Amino acid sequence: MSGIQPTQTYHEIFRNKLKLKNFEISDKFLKKYPRAADVLKKKNLTLQKLREHSAKLMGAGALTGALILNSPTMPAQITPIEIVQNLKTLGESSTPIENSQENLISSLRDTLPKRTRPLTREEEKHIEQIFSENIGVKAKASLEGEHLNTTYGLIGAEQHLRRYPGDTIATHPKVKAGDEGMAPGLGAWGYFAPSKDKMTSDIVEEEKWYAVVQTLYLPDWKARLPYLREWYKHRKVLIVNTDNGNAVVADIADSGPAAWTGKSFGGSPEVMNYLGGARYKKGPVIIFFVDDPENKVPLGPVEYNTMSTGMNILKV
Amino acid sequence: MSKLFFDHLIVLTRVDAHVKAISQNIEEREELWQLVDELVHHRVMDLILGSLPEEHHTEFMEKFTEFPYEERLFVFLNEKTGKDFEKVITEEMKTLEDEILKDLKPRKKKK
Repeated sequence: MSGIQPTQTYHEIFRNKLKLKNFEISDKFLKKYPRAADVLKKKNLTLQKLREHSAKLMGAGALTGALILNSPTMPAQITPIEIVQNLKTLGESSTPIENSQENLISSLRDTLPKRTRPLTREEEKHIEQIFSENIGVKAKASLEGEHLNTTYGLIGAEQHLRRYPGDTIATHPKVKAGDEGMAPGLGAWGYFAPSKDKMTSDIVEEEKWYAVVQTLYLPDWKARLPYLREWYKHRKVLIVNTDNGNAVVADIADSGPAAWTGKSFGGSPEVMNYLGGARYKKGPVIIFFVDDPENKVPLGPVEYNTMSTGMNILKV
Repeated sequence: MSKLFFDHLIVLTRVDAHVKAISQNIEEREELWQLVDELVHHRVMDLILGSLPEEHHTEFMEKFTEFPYEERLFVFLNEKTGKDFEKVITEEMKTLEDEILKDLKPRKKKK
């Protein structure tokens, strides 16, 4: 039988095809590779559980294990001694305002691996200090015990999200060039407002400066779903383009991207435009949570070259 | 954190655009993401074990399950297979993307 049944959606058809394909391949795999199947069985694993298994290992701190060090395919990490020395240097120097961005880029270049990967806690602590010194926004890799699946990865361009029922691209604010249009579905937290008349200037900013993070791959996402859903909803993050130092404060408004897109984060058209310009569709960034219990840090670009930096917190 | 050692080679952008287009909500979208992820794992593992001499299967799986995120696994694979395995996976993913997209498109009814 071919074609679409009247009661089936494209989603259901595709889902069923994928499920069938996975079932067939999984069955074939176990018969074709008995030695590999034995290892998986011994460890109580399946191919389907590999990503979850990796998440648990990395969440347990295995990333700091010996294997990752001196890896020929991964840049060496900075040692704790180097971190302490770097922190002392940062603390002693007084950063001229006009050079903040250059200092930031230079410091990140000295600290970050060439290819994006999850950072160690020591590397993240060092970068928190660099951000505090140069950008002036208090941002942390871990906040209230929560941590993203990675803080250093590639960000990709996302589309505008529907803010309320009936919102269309025709009436939606757009970036001047290279606008990505409107996403076909809603963000992970649904509409920003129940109706057009409930829109406020704050909600406009929330959609305008939104970020996408991979909440679905958090090791405890399913187990702590009710709490984590609320915790991540519109959580403020500092996004820093590690190539040019451009920084923006955004709020988390969607889940993704899929692991098989080569990206770890997403940004609204406005976020991407500010980070890298109209043609910027993908690039390396660091994303940290903004430590802003009094909700004083505004969403949008952080023009830190024009403000007082050093140990001062952003004045708003 | 969640990472598999071959993640950086898997870029199925066109599939992602289709998944987003046919999903009505986040639950549908994440379900399809998960299913495609499984398909990718199966395909990559089949590719690896199909190229790797059988006497190395156990050693590879032991290393892989212990350090699934470790990109140094490519050194092991390249050495044992004599191939540039990052290149092999990248090529295979182009084929897989075409296959998935073919499945995504509704078949026309035969008259």
